[in-house]
Amino acid sequence: MNQVTSIAVGFDGSVESETALRWAAGMAHESGASLTVVHASGILERLGSAFDPDVVPEAVESIMAQEGIDPSRYHWVIEEGDACSALLACASPPVNAQVLVVGSRGHGKRPGTMIGSVSLEVVQHAKVPVVVVPGS
Amino acid sequence: MVLIVNEVFDDAEHESPEHPERPGRVQAAMAGVADLHLGEDLVVAPRHSATRAELLRVHAGGYLDELGAYCYGGGGDIDQDTYATYDSWSIATLSAGAGLSVVAELQRRGEGVGFVAARPPGHHALKDRAMGFCLLNNVAVTAAALVNQGERVAIIDWDVHHGNGTQQIFWDEPNVLYASMHQWPLFPGSGAASEVGGRSALGATINVPLPEGATGDATRRALDEVIAPAVDAFGPTWVLVSAGFDAHRLDPMADLCLSDADYGDLAARVSRFVDGPGRLAFFLEGGYEFGALRASVASTLSAVLDAGFSGEPRSNGGPGYEQINRVKTQRLAAIESWTREYEKEGQS
Repeated sequence: MNQVTSIAVGFDGSVESETALRWAAGMAHESGASLTVVHASGILERLGSAFDPDVVPEAVESIMAQEGIDPSRYHWVIEEGDACSALLACASPPVNAQVLVVGSRGHGKRPGTMIGSVSLEVVQHAKVPVVVVPGS
Repeated sequence: MVLIVNEVFDDAEHESPEHPERPGRVQAAMAGVADLHLGEDLVVAPRHSATRAELLRVHAGGYLDELGAYCYGGGGDIDQDTYATYDSWSIATLSAGAGLSVVAELQRRGEGVGFVAARPPGHHALKDRAMGFCLLNNVAVTAAALVNQGERVAIIDWDVHHGNGTQQIFWDEPNVLYASMHQWPLFPGSGAASEVGGRSALGATINVPLPEGATGDATRRALDEVIAPAVDAFGPTWVLVSAGFDAHRLDPMADLCLSDADYGDLAARVSRFVDGPGRLAFFLEGGYEFGALRASVASTLSAVLDAGFSGEPRSNGGPGYEQINRVKTQRLAAIESWTREYEKEGQS
């Protein structure tokens, strides 16, 4: 496999997405790749509790620091749309991620069901390798 | 002229605490209908739950199985925006069937205008996925049934969000034209002017993205100069409107600045696309500020029924009017580019 220089990971603020972020940060640390942390902004974020595109969430900053990733090596990105499309888009320019990382379940998913599963959607449609990180 | 309505009024069990897509929306929309004082000209179509065969025209069987099982398993959050409850399957299939019933009544009478006041809304629902509050794609189910009868259907979507589900379902369907004007950038992120349809339906998808703050004048120009010529060339025999009312200036979900009267203007223009009486129906999509929703529904239906509703003045002067030129250019360039691409493929 070619040297990995760009990794993208989905982040929705859930514990599962923090676990995925930690795994992706570890891979970025070992490979020297840059890391794009992408959040999909849904309809309801208009009504409050939205992430700010200009402010990296505390949880992201903290995990990056713990994993030894310098702020210059990761990017915090918010995309309008659904989580699957936002992460898949990272495999195209300008991010050109060679690996996509996603938690096995994000916000609100019930165990044992496939419906709405971002991880399954990403695996089905991705043109680059996908890592699905199980929850802790 | 008669108004054929189908109200899904027993929708109280499809609700999630503090979620804006809630049962009071249908009541607000129907209050707008009541404001027109139509008397005997208001006709209620029979209730109908969409059958599996009717749903399979637009949704994958596996998705229908999963959604039904998920609901009857107690439901829960499907994604960050979309939820289902135990009763959501039965309510969603009623909503998906409501348009079929309205269309059947219009066909039986050969006159009138339809209004489907049902929820959950539908235009974000993909072939195989729920999203954006939507479980089943209501307008698509009706459009597909009409196509099955040999009709050509134009779907005009003026919800503030792009109807990505409807676009996906009919992307390559030559008997359906899908036209949307919507705020951009905004959820769901799709709906660029360069999205023009698949190989078999090139040019039959029309997208007019509008900037935050756009007012009614920009939507009128979009309809007159971008959408109307494409609809005329397409020649629909039916027109269905994905009538979201969340582009209203008071709606909390987005930042377009339409007034009640603007919706009446848009409705009057859309009604001219129709090839004969009894071939126009409006489907409730978004709209979350109850007062604005009520007045906008009244304004929309009044314009096509000539019912004399008087609301706010039309809005003008926001950004976006000049952007329509850019939309035309981008759309034309995309069609030309894909045409060349397909010709090249055909020669090789």
